[in-house]
Amino acid sequence: MTDYVIETTNLSKEYSKNPVVNSIDMHVEKGKIYGLLGKNGAGKTTTMCMLLNLVYPSSGEILLFGKDPSKYPKEVYSNIGSIIETPGFYENLTAYENLKVIAKLRGNYNPLNVKMVLEMVNLDHEKTKKFKNFSLGMKQRLGIAAAIMHNPDLLILDEPINGLDPIGIKEIRDLLKKLSHEYGTTILISSHILSEIENIADVIGFMDNGVLIDELTRDELHNRLNKCVEFEVSDIDLAVELLNKCNLKENKDYTFRKSIGNYMENADEKCGSSSVGGCIHLLSNLELRCQFNKLFVDSGIDVSRVSLCEENLEEFFTRIISNT
Amino acid sequence: MLTFIQMEFLKLKKSNIFLLSLLMAALPAVLMYIATFAFDEVQSFELLFTNVNMYMSVLFAVLLFAIIMAYLFGREYNEHTLKAMLTIPISRGKFLASKYIMFLVWVLILTAVTSVSTLAFGFLAGLSGFTIKLFIDSFANLLFANVLLFLTFSPFVFISLFVTNMVPAMVGGASLTLVNMLVYGQTWAPYVPWVCPYLIASGEIAEYSVSIMTPYAMIFATFIIGVIISYVYFTKKDVPL
Repeated sequence: MTDYVIETTNLSKEYSKNPVVNSIDMHVEKGKIYGLLGKNGAGKTTTMCMLLNLVYPSSGEILLFGKDPSKYPKEVYSNIGSIIETPGFYENLTAYENLKVIAKLRGNYNPLNVKMVLEMVNLDHEKTKKFKNFSLGMKQRLGIAAAIMHNPDLLILDEPINGLDPIGIKEIRDLLKKLSHEYGTTILISSHILSEIENIADVIGFMDNGVLIDELTRDELHNRLNKCVEFEVSDIDLAVELLNKCNLKENKDYTFRKSIGNYMENADEKCGSSSVGGCIHLLSNLELRCQFNKLFVDSGIDVSRVSLCEENLEEFFTRIISNT
Repeated sequence: MLTFIQMEFLKLKKSNIFLLSLLMAALPAVLMYIATFAFDEVQSFELLFTNVNMYMSVLFAVLLFAIIMAYLFGREYNEHTLKAMLTIPISRGKFLASKYIMFLVWVLILTAVTSVSTLAFGFLAGLSGFTIKLFIDSFANLLFANVLLFLTFSPFVFISLFVTNMVPAMVGGASLTLVNMLVYGQTWAPYVPWVCPYLIASGEIAEYSVSIMTPYAMIFATFIIGVIISYVYFTKKDVPL
């Protein structure tokens, strides 16, 4: 039986009868990084707030670590670290003092631990600077420090890399991977930056208009991405004719595009032929690409390029959102 | 709870509002000191303590308490720290109770500042008639009045939670100060919760033709109503981000 750290059933939230989160069934496995992907207003933050008891669900159930958090709030939430949107800290205090307040209230204040976590997020040198003078990136890093300071088993991070520079993004990405892979920390992370989610997530949940459209592991996602083989050929009409003879159907098994580029025209002139070049996208029977290539070449078609193309996450995300 | 109070003090470190509140608590004594020379108003310690206590309880404290209340509760919203506090986790009821207690501690500090500054400015003005008993009695009266006044501020907690910036509290505090000025000395003053603390503590309530229980009832009713509505509102409402 799969060990879920987060499990929701029909989780919904309405504001003035307007559904913001609609019957979400989310499953986050222990030790995995779960990326919640969706455009702005998709319901990611509201979902995370409901998990953290900051927003009350209109209906549905939440189980965290297999327990109902409303019945065991202290036990459950003391084992969670979180960042929701821009981290909030006391503006008149330094990074150390802010972390001290949180650690004291958690009941696990240890000066060495605070210093260590500040070193980890590269804020240890900012000893006297007040939070109100921090840059957005520094605020975000302090938020991450506060979230991981008590070594939680679950991290809920809403857009944690907002405002970070590329080096900061890489550092946080590496830190999250380390926490997940070395310490077994389960991480639920949301972002609208698709490449980041793609980089770190083991499982991706796709949200749109308050609905969790799909949850896919990396392998499942790889299998669901549209793939094709692209042939760049010197005689597109002949190539299409050959494919039709092989019982391949246009738009179903392949698509094609006649070239208007100089390369093909020049090639045609050199060969002294009237044929038009172009590209063929083979959508099915990809495993037969070598045979098709041989067929084209044997039929006198020049094949200048054969490449295997795969839909990227952005294209996949756009496709599944437009299908809903 | 003790940790929470300690952390509230840490949160006030280098905070302008805390220093400002201490200065405001000393302001009645400063004004009376000036009045001693400018208008030949105060000639004895007894009169100085009486006047300072009256101005503090009826006028200054009302505005000051409203500002403190709005700051204590409102800053958690304005600085977006409430979401961090509640996910520590701290129960919403405990959070609210801790803030109330912190407010009470703050009131006690302000009371001490007012009394000590009155004493200091009295000596500075060279007033006569100082006794330890007079100081202790005056401090006890002011403390009693301020604690009762503290109870009447629970509706301001609701206002601070409902409108999470300091403007409504400041407007409310200023309005109540004006109300207190208008009703003080009127026959229906014992029915206004924010004047009652001074009337009870100073003993002036005996001059009114109402039962001593009436102003107490007004104060405790205000307190209970304020606590209930702020608790219900805070525990039922989603945390704004």
